[in-house]
Amino acid sequence: MRAVGRWLGERWITIGSPLTVLVLWEWASATGLLRAVFFPRPSTIAGHLRDLAMDGTLWGHAATTLVRIGWSFSLAAILGVAIGLAMGLWRRLREGLDPVFAVIYPIPSVLFLPLVSFLVPPGEIALVVTTAVTSFFLIAFTTTHGVRQIDRLVVEAARHYGARGWRLFAAVLLPGALPFIFTGLRLGLGFALIVVVAVEIVSASRGLGALLWLSWQVLKVEDMYATFFVIALLGALLSYGLAALRARLLPWVPDAGDR
Amino acid sequence: MGVAVPTAVLVLWEIFSRLGIVSPRYFPAPTTVAWTLADRLVAGDLAGDLLVTLTRLALAFALAALPAVPLGLLMGIARPVRDLVEPYLAFVFPVPKITLLPFLLIILGVGEPAFVLTGASSAFFQIVISTLAGVQTMDPRLVEVGRNYGAHGPRLFWKVILPAALPAIFTGLRLGLGLSLVTLVAVEFVAAKSGLGHLVYRHWQMLSTPEMYAAFALVGALGLVLTRGLRALQARVLTWQEDIGV
Repeated sequence: MRAVGRWLGERWITIGSPLTVLVLWEWASATGLLRAVFFPRPSTIAGHLRDLAMDGTLWGHAATTLVRIGWSFSLAAILGVAIGLAMGLWRRLREGLDPVFAVIYPIPSVLFLPLVSFLVPPGEIALVVTTAVTSFFLIAFTTTHGVRQIDRLVVEAARHYGARGWRLFAAVLLPGALPFIFTGLRLGLGFALIVVVAVEIVSASRGLGALLWLSWQVLKVEDMYATFFVIALLGALLSYGLAALRARLLPWVPDAGDR
Repeated sequence: MGVAVPTAVLVLWEIFSRLGIVSPRYFPAPTTVAWTLADRLVAGDLAGDLLVTLTRLALAFALAALPAVPLGLLMGIARPVRDLVEPYLAFVFPVPKITLLPFLLIILGVGEPAFVLTGASSAFFQIVISTLAGVQTMDPRLVEVGRNYGAHGPRLFWKVILPAALPAIFTGLRLGLGLSLVTLVAVEFVAAKSGLGHLVYRHWQMLSTPEMYAAFALVGALGLVLTRGLRALQARVLTWQEDIGV
């Protein structure tokens, strides 16, 4: 009980401020101080959120988005780790691909949608591949860096003790690069969410991004807020959940992506 | 070696497209694209749209950086401010900022303010978080040494805390600028009627692929110049910083 009290004593501002804002918002839009058309009361939004959840609309869209994130992330992770490792191990490959990556990487991922839709069947597949692009680069970059930052002494020592080929890779290089690979995967998953929502806003008729955009087009403002809340929740879950997972799985290294 | 792979890709693309092995309708030859790019930059809409995007980017970046750096610093040195602001940062930071667009569109109406503010929001959160991290991760010994030598209040801030946080602030600004470009182009793609993002969208819809690739290449070049240029600037200005990171 005392622990709870102390925790509250330390966090009261952090917890109190959003609550105060919500209460003020509720009051201001109930009295007309805020225009309820643009800023509907939080209780109304909560009601709409419940309705969307009850009739299944929300789950359908959320499931679509999650499935897309799953496919995109798997695609980006498999290719990104493989190519990243290869680039870390072979200098020639790295020098060849670096300039290509440097040019492609800063291009906003949404712009790849037209290009991708020429390459693969448009629709679901194009959407998934477009979403995978940015995550792929992030994962490949961090993996390459992970291999390159391994202490050369460790590699030399392993060589002297007779580790070669697959053994060298599995026993020395992969574990050495693992923290960076994990950071890359975490960043990649975060970006997959960001990009998938953007791509859904641009082109899809299903998914959370599409739900948000369609709600705007028919001016269902309460549904917009409700959808935004769900997207934010998903984002928090992905980024903080994964950070916690890393802290548990790889506690001996600081997260290379923390800043 | 550095140029070999890109050159090879472009040459192969050229040959395949000319021979019709890949459809020139969807994959026009690089020389065709380059010609279109040069032609449209001089005579057509491309230069105008580039200027529109650049103007939006500059506005968005300024609108984000001016409040974000002081806020980040304040959060770093004053615990109550950090406690007050942190829940909102934590809630909004992981959200794709383009989702703010529809809200700004209904509040401000369809137009430049909504586009620019959406672009600004993505830079804003990144800059606040980097700045805050810069203050929080600075070596506490620096502050103690400063104190021991009699630096307090504003002097401590200007002489010790700010220089120590400067590399992180610069990193935040650099990342913020990149993020705002990404968000702005996406905003142009869905909602605006001008700018490079819109150009790619329009030419995609009309299937005028040489123009589409030309606009696409221009966005890529812009991103490359911004990221590379700022990294070089950072390495030059902040020489006491060891590693710039990603």
